[in-house]
Amino acid sequence: MQRKSGPDGALPPGSITFSDMSWNRTGSWRYLKPKFVRKFSPCSESCPAGNDVEGFLFLAGEGRYEEALAKILQESPFPGVCGRVCCHPCESACNRRISDDAVSIQGIERFVSQFEPSRPPQPGEPREEKVAVVGSGPAGLSCAYHLRRLGYSVTVFEKEDVLGGMLCLGIPRYRLPRRVLNRDIDRILALGIGLETGRRVGKDMSWDELLAGRDAVFLAIGAHAHVGLKIEGESCQGIMPGTGFLKKVNLGLPAALGRRVAVIGGGNTAMDCARVALRLGSRPVVVYRRTREEMPAIEAEVQEALEEGIEFEWLTSPVRALVDDGRVAGLQCTRNRLADPDDSGRRRPEPVEASEFVLDADTVITAVGEAVDLAVLPHGLKVEKGVVWIDSWGRTSMERIWAGGDSGPDQRMVVHAIGAGKKAALSIHATLRGNDIEGIAEPLRIGSSGSFSMERYLQGEQGGAVPVREVVRPEQINLDYFEHVPRIVQPRRAPSDRVQGFEEVNGGYDKNDADLEAKRCFHCGTCDLCGNCWRFCPDLCIRSGDVPGMNLLDDFHCKGCGICAEECPRSAIVMEREL
Amino acid sequence: MKKVLMGDHAVSHAAMLSRVQVISAYPITPQTYVVEELAEACRDGRLKAKFVMVESEHSAMACIIGACAAGSRAFTATSSHGLALMHEMLHWASGARLPVVMANCNRALGPPWNILCDHSDSMSQRDTGWIQFYVESNQEALDTVIQAYRIAEKVLLPVMVNLDGFFLTHTAEVVDVPDQDQVDAYLPPFSLPYKLDVEDPHSFGAICLDDNFMALKHDMQAAMDLARDAALEADEAFAEIFGRKYGLLEPYRMDHADTVLVTNGTITGTAREVVDDLRRRGVSVGLLKVRMLRPFPFAPVRSLLGDRERIAVIDRSVSYGLAGGLACEIRSALYGHDHGRPRVFGYIAGLGGKDVVPSDIEEIVNRTLTYEQPPRDDIWIGAGT
Repeated sequence: MQRKSGPDGALPPGSITFSDMSWNRTGSWRYLKPKFVRKFSPCSESCPAGNDVEGFLFLAGEGRYEEALAKILQESPFPGVCGRVCCHPCESACNRRISDDAVSIQGIERFVSQFEPSRPPQPGEPREEKVAVVGSGPAGLSCAYHLRRLGYSVTVFEKEDVLGGMLCLGIPRYRLPRRVLNRDIDRILALGIGLETGRRVGKDMSWDELLAGRDAVFLAIGAHAHVGLKIEGESCQGIMPGTGFLKKVNLGLPAALGRRVAVIGGGNTAMDCARVALRLGSRPVVVYRRTREEMPAIEAEVQEALEEGIEFEWLTSPVRALVDDGRVAGLQCTRNRLADPDDSGRRRPEPVEASEFVLDADTVITAVGEAVDLAVLPHGLKVEKGVVWIDSWGRTSMERIWAGGDSGPDQRMVVHAIGAGKKAALSIHATLRGNDIEGIAEPLRIGSSGSFSMERYLQGEQGGAVPVREVVRPEQINLDYFEHVPRIVQPRRAPSDRVQGFEEVNGGYDKNDADLEAKRCFHCGTCDLCGNCWRFCPDLCIRSGDVPGMNLLDDFHCKGCGICAEECPRSAIVMEREL
Repeated sequence: MKKVLMGDHAVSHAAMLSRVQVISAYPITPQTYVVEELAEACRDGRLKAKFVMVESEHSAMACIIGACAAGSRAFTATSSHGLALMHEMLHWASGARLPVVMANCNRALGPPWNILCDHSDSMSQRDTGWIQFYVESNQEALDTVIQAYRIAEKVLLPVMVNLDGFFLTHTAEVVDVPDQDQVDAYLPPFSLPYKLDVEDPHSFGAICLDDNFMALKHDMQAAMDLARDAALEADEAFAEIFGRKYGLLEPYRMDHADTVLVTNGTITGTAREVVDDLRRRGVSVGLLKVRMLRPFPFAPVRSLLGDRERIAVIDRSVSYGLAGGLACEIRSALYGHDHGRPRVFGYIAGLGGKDVVPSDIEEIVNRTLTYEQPPRDDIWIGAGT
């Protein structure tokens, strides 16, 4: 009998091996080979500011808050602002929604924004060119921030005495405390940015004067002009534009409200106006022509307004202002029904015959949209549909002038303005360097979106997994490896308490909640060293490194079975044909 | 120290005294108290062991196999259907030569549904490579579990200690619980020649086809032979420290006995009384308790029973289509000894908790003495036929 023996010459008590199978180079059987890749996560792709959302959630989940903040600051200078008032398209895109609910990306951004970044943003190597930015809103400051990091000398012109544009003048403090805004702005200014406040370009100084001695101008004057209701009696006393009202309150000026305030509109400005009016002691009612479903306001804002007891008249349009002694004394309204969808995809309101009624109101605030003040634009600048025309790289019809934000065709959300400012900065940079913007920007594009990564431009690829231009779809997530964990709700002050003043409504996460919430991230398309591939590899071919994505392959033994790719929870491994 | 303990608690005390390091079990009547107390002991710190909750007995056995392979002294307890569910893993434990110890609280298998005692559960597992003991008292249950580790770790085979459900498990008796120091002196810390260790990697249970499979199985059979001596050594050493000794077989009043009753488990205690009574009445009857069923103590059975006239074996289970298992083994041991002598009578009694009372055993003796030859089939006592 053949007796293979153990080291002491005797048969071991059971069938126990004393050598390995490394001589058997099963790699020769392979025709497919796994590759560790980094795909785009849908959250990152959908962030108009170009944030590496998955990247900062990973760092936050590890408790590396300072690094997480530094990561955000690579792409956006407004973590404090976006952590509070962003409409977070990232969360709408979050793949976690197929399991339970989206990760509260905004809540985590807010939490990490309170720390000091591990690497504060730095101005780039000084360049000779000078750039003017007109407007200090999120678009203007974002552009100035990124240009400064690229080394340009930047001066920001602001017609008001305060910085921030709508962030400062439009958004009430209970949503965005002034100290939070100032912290973000101060960090931008610390890069060394010139300021000219209280002067309106196109009015107090000419565009020629501005352009003289400057190589580029970014025009980001926002949309502050009043859009009327176009109804009879509109010009009487007691009817005021919403942005004007919010600006007064934000600047601490008297607002002269009556007791019963009708707010016309269904967007965020309307919600802000109604909730501010309530805090000033009036009884507001929101009048909106469609239903709650179609309201463009952020859902949470509507929810909070309802919690605070604000009344809504849905499917209602004002027809005529009733005037008494030159002052509004009521609002004649009609009820609507919803007809077929219009161009925006929302169902069009249609008046119901003989449904008119009088809404009690002694003040009317209009919040049906804002327009660009075309009067102050440079003479001859092309305008289309009431906004400054720009191409896909933020270039206007005039040499040396770029534009973006609310004065351009972008969506009028903070985060879109931040993205527009960044894109313009890249575009200005390419032009001033004599480069083709597409050549520079295409490799920086995040998925198929219109946003770009400044981190990759400034630092290049950082080794590790191979970046792949693919966004992880929900069906590519292996849900077997994720437990159901409900989204953690951020604490909010009680409605009865918050309507007493302008204290911030949302309390934000504490460390424990931020930690748990950040750990809910699937890390779509990025290896987070979970080790599943290593665990499943039948040939022990996968080695785990200590940097995400650093997983080495034993070429000699990997048979290309594909179990690693199949079992990867987050689609960070692809199988490629080798032959 | 003397305590009043139920059989289940005698077993859990023994496991604690043996300093088991991993326990994994799934509760089943009548075993439940065993693991209940061990779980509490793990929680309150009386026992420094890992108690692993599992969803089935198959997993419980797999778990202690893993624990033992990693070098831990491991324990489980089960009963009846639980033992049946473990069947595959029983082969794995013995084939991998892992010295785990299990208490099996003997219980019938259904249907008809039943929770009471018989030996059909453990008798069904005789071929799995486990050493098997059947105990008569709570004291013996405690002592045998401690001995079991010494035997198992000596020959690298698993041990099953069988105690009768309810008759022992749920019945309180005075039990002398040894001191920990004494048990430590008797049972050295556990070590394995090869164990799961990331610093010293080996595959365990690796494939052997026509090369070493039979050699390793032959080694197992040889280890079973060694287990008889190991059990005797363990019993002697136990007696030196604790003053109690059981043997592999226990002869009782067998001097000049023409007829010998053969029993195991708790029927033995009843049979002792009947033998005493019959001896007083001049009937020449003795008793042999079979404590160790695997390895079967072939030679001592032959020498103790070979020159008797009649043997009456009482089985608490049936190998359907054949006979009682113990009777078969006794016949096997005596075959060819002396042309037709002794005559072995097989009796089936006490299935599914049916009480085997003194009058039943007296009837067994009477029938054995009355018939000229054993009938072809075993005689069922108490089946209503």
